[in-house]
Amino acid sequence: MRSRFKQHVFLFVIIFLILSMVLAGCSSEKTDSGASKKVNSLQIIETGDHLPPKDEDIINKKLSEKLGVNIDLSVTASGDDYKNNINTRLAGGDYPDLFSVIDHQTLQQYAEKGLLLDLSAYKDKLKTTIDFIGEESLKKGTIDGKLYAIAARPTINYNTYWVRKDWLDKLGLKEPKTINDLMKVAEAFTNDDPDGNGKKDTYGISGGQLNAFAPIFGAFGVGMPGDFYVKDGKLVNAYFDPDMKPALSFIKDLVSQGVVDPDLMANTGLQHQDKAFQGKVGIVWLDWPNITKDQFVKQIKEANPKAKWVQIAAPKGPGGQYNGSWDTGATPAIFAIPKGLKNDPKKLDKVFELLNYVSSKEGNRLVQFGVEGRDYDLKDGKVVTKPKLDEEGGYFWLYQFTRRPEKEYLKTKFPKQQKYITFADNQPQIQALNSYVNIPDGYNPADADAFAQQEITKFIYGKRSLDEYDQFLKKLKTTFKYQSYLDSAKKQLKDLDLIK
Amino acid sequence: MMDLQKEKEIKTPVSYSSKIRRKWRDIWKYKAMYLMLLPGLIWFIIYKYVPLYGVIVAFKNYSLVDGMIASPWAHPWYKYFQTFFNSPYFTELLSNTFLISFYRLIFGFAPPIILALLLNECRISWMKRWVQTLSYIPHFFSWVIVYGILVAFLSQSTGLINHWIVESGGNTISFLTSTHWFRSILVSSDVWKEIGWGSIIYLAAITGINPSLYEAAKIDGANRMRMIWHITLPGIRNIIILLFILRIGHILDAGFEEVYILYNIQVYPVADIIDTWVYRTGLQQLNFSLATAVGLFKSVIGLILVLGVNRLAKRWGGGIW
Amino acid sequence: MNKVKKHSFDFIIIVLLLLIAATAVFPLLYVLSASLTPYSEVLKNGGFILLPKKFTLAAYNEILGQSKVIHAFGVTVFVTIVGTFINLILSLLMAFPLSRKNIPGRTFILFLVVLTLLVNGGIIPTYIVVHATGLTNTIWSMIVPNAIAAFNLLIMKSFFETLPEELFEAARMDGANEFYILYKIVLPLSIPVMMTIGLFYAAGHWNEFMQPLLYITDSSLFPLQVVIRDIIMQTQDQLNNPDVSIPTVTIQMASVIVASLPIILVYPFVQKYFMKGMLLGSIKG
Repeated sequence: MRSRFKQHVFLFVIIFLILSMVLAGCSSEKTDSGASKKVNSLQIIETGDHLPPKDEDIINKKLSEKLGVNIDLSVTASGDDYKNNINTRLAGGDYPDLFSVIDHQTLQQYAEKGLLLDLSAYKDKLKTTIDFIGEESLKKGTIDGKLYAIAARPTINYNTYWVRKDWLDKLGLKEPKTINDLMKVAEAFTNDDPDGNGKKDTYGISGGQLNAFAPIFGAFGVGMPGDFYVKDGKLVNAYFDPDMKPALSFIKDLVSQGVVDPDLMANTGLQHQDKAFQGKVGIVWLDWPNITKDQFVKQIKEANPKAKWVQIAAPKGPGGQYNGSWDTGATPAIFAIPKGLKNDPKKLDKVFELLNYVSSKEGNRLVQFGVEGRDYDLKDGKVVTKPKLDEEGGYFWLYQFTRRPEKEYLKTKFPKQQKYITFADNQPQIQALNSYVNIPDGYNPADADAFAQQEITKFIYGKRSLDEYDQFLKKLKTTFKYQSYLDSAKKQLKDLDLIK
Repeated sequence: MMDLQKEKEIKTPVSYSSKIRRKWRDIWKYKAMYLMLLPGLIWFIIYKYVPLYGVIVAFKNYSLVDGMIASPWAHPWYKYFQTFFNSPYFTELLSNTFLISFYRLIFGFAPPIILALLLNECRISWMKRWVQTLSYIPHFFSWVIVYGILVAFLSQSTGLINHWIVESGGNTISFLTSTHWFRSILVSSDVWKEIGWGSIIYLAAITGINPSLYEAAKIDGANRMRMIWHITLPGIRNIIILLFILRIGHILDAGFEEVYILYNIQVYPVADIIDTWVYRTGLQQLNFSLATAVGLFKSVIGLILVLGVNRLAKRWGGGIW
Repeated sequence: MNKVKKHSFDFIIIVLLLLIAATAVFPLLYVLSASLTPYSEVLKNGGFILLPKKFTLAAYNEILGQSKVIHAFGVTVFVTIVGTFINLILSLLMAFPLSRKNIPGRTFILFLVVLTLLVNGGIIPTYIVVHATGLTNTIWSMIVPNAIAAFNLLIMKSFFETLPEELFEAARMDGANEFYILYKIVLPLSIPVMMTIGLFYAAGHWNEFMQPLLYITDSSLFPLQVVIRDIIMQTQDQLNNPDVSIPTVTIQMASVIVASLPIILVYPFVQKYFMKGMLLGSIKG
């Protein structure tokens, strides 16, 4: 009795306190919101890193001068952190003026939830931008016929297999042309002591998880697990492609021969590159920047002067020759404007002006190569880079909101790597349509992906017999509702006129 | 004397109001104490209790545009709880979460106490200082870095330990990608990372023990083991109980960050926990209602456990309140 | 006989402590060596170096040569010092009354405090409150929302509970008010506790990076952890970006040292108070 009473009195005091505090909180909400935005400054956020402080940021200075507005760019290093950040800010009603959207599916979600400004009505004002990104990219920013975002100009493929030429020579082998050659080379790299240290401490193939096998899937005419693509005029999902099973069987053989980096599925970041440079693996699936840029050439040379890496074409197989798959719907960047900015036409015009400027000849050159005379010289109308660009130009891309004419850009900025760039770009690839497909209601991609990836890994590592592949598909279709995803994908891609 | 007692019995209804008065007098007597509590309480209310209204989105179809209050109610109200319970992975998630958490409790709770006792008994003071400082440093490494260290030591292709194993003629062990090793490695890294840091609190508690107790025991001829058992441990019992109760409340938090950084697709069957699942399913796909519902589920379990354990602890003379 | 036993007890303790120290030392040595060795040397040694053969400070020069690192260091030091000070005052003010068993409503308030450890509204409503109280994009967004940690508060309260009530009664008889008692009796008796809790708070401020990521967009307010993360992060989606230079293990490990060394150095100072922190016992005795 007594203690209950004690509690009652106190409850009363506390409730009173809570109420007064909530009221205080509410009133301060009113006074403080809205006052935080300065006029004449544009707040932009995106994923990225190594943005220098503003007073050392030459691009920011030039852009701000040109547009007569303060540009407050803020970048977040990890994609996950960024996603967290932007979602929270959108939910909190604290919008930036321009922000990057991680991928097409997120764009779809934002658009569906009504967070984004429909840019369809402003197409005239965005003419320079739209002309710059082109018709295809325009489609990638369009959802249900409305333009919700500016998708940047497409990029090109950088990845290929890289092979240790000096190891091949030492063992008297030729560059692998078919997947069977590849298997032999990988075996030799593992068993025949290619580094001559007398120890069996090398492996054939490495890469970032299943991507390491991209060209092998390609050689069977299969996309990466989960990909949608057109084969013989029909839409196919890689799991259900009849050639998937033989592809998995081949990879399983590779794994069981012990020629694959045993930590393959745990490789995050650039661990596979590390192993390649350490001389632990002789074949690695890697992009040209991470093996031919000066920084890495130097590392390779210093670690082992004899090491010589060559790029090889995708090996041939029963299903043809494809250097993995290429998601045609993906773009290197998507930028969107929050709906609320409609009420601030002046600011909105400034955002358009910024987008148009970085898409114009002059502005795009600024965000690609920096300042003339400082970072580059013009010779006969052509850009010739100066050493300063190498020193400070590492962050310029953060301002390429609509990105750049990829091939010319790479040619100018990476003249030494031109050979590798063209080689990778010319590889045939399976044209995947994944990014065009949005997630239908009731389908949980996280569970389905986790399941599918786990089972595929089991098949490859011999933990589950490939005879059970059909049971796997059945479970994927029913328990994980993959069928609804397949049906929806077909319908969506038809609506987009991407398949017949 | 008798009369007085009688009077009391008769006046019960009246004394109720006098009790109230006495209560207020009590409160008035401690007014300075309440004044001390005030700033903290205000802070708790604004920054901890006001945001609590967010839990309603567990029962709503939360949309970022409508906001938490205006979003429509989910139908049925337990829709998002159902999504979680009906996930094909529900049992796996729950058992992984519980097991990892349980192992962390079993293998992680006692070592800091033991280290603190060892340090307290160590008579070489420079050694005491060094061990203390060294063992607490790993606490300041982020899990990304711990993973880097683990790879350097344990990788099957490049790791130091596998290198030694091969040198001595053995077969390499897939520490990082095998379901057999994952939990052991996760839990032992966790113990390694936090042992020194965790011992600080106990060391501080030990300084509060009355030295005269040791003197008296010494005179009685007690050996050091006995003194640890009868003086040191009882002296820090309150802190041990407190930390244990709080730890029990978080039994369904198996450590998101470390699992997320250390796991890979091959170890999902033993590594995937509630929080990593929520991260992939809820937060990554803007499904905040699901994330909140699962969070609420975890909170309710935690709360029940804390209330239960606290009640038990009170019987032992401890307890938080 | 007894002497032998006594020595063997000490011996066992020393061996165990050395073992624990060894498990800590090897990984630390790896981090330190990797940060001091040229990266090509690391590669040559199969990615593993325990003692550097070639020695370079290049990574440290690169990190500390960035003006934003120095600036961020200043931000973190400010947040840690001011934040910890506020933490200690508020926690002290709450922990003392809550440690006195005769205060009406104590149980209820304690329950409220414990509840916040178990239930939380999530990051979005918290963000909304932080924004509504005008803290976003100010340095206070790293201090005020963390003004009290319920966990530390409970520990502090638990320590105060061991202080005997008679001590205060005597002072009250002399006409001292509660604030005086807190300041003149409780505080001096609790130096080791305050140091410990202060260290916990300081480490929390020092390591915090989630909140600044959410609450701060002005890069001149970024604390050290955010800037360091920016240096060492390798995001999957940026791995293919030819413009980005990927940090080497050398840089990564050097940034770990830069980011954690200052706070690690705080501990030996706190330690001193554990050694001579027998104040409380002597008074009780």
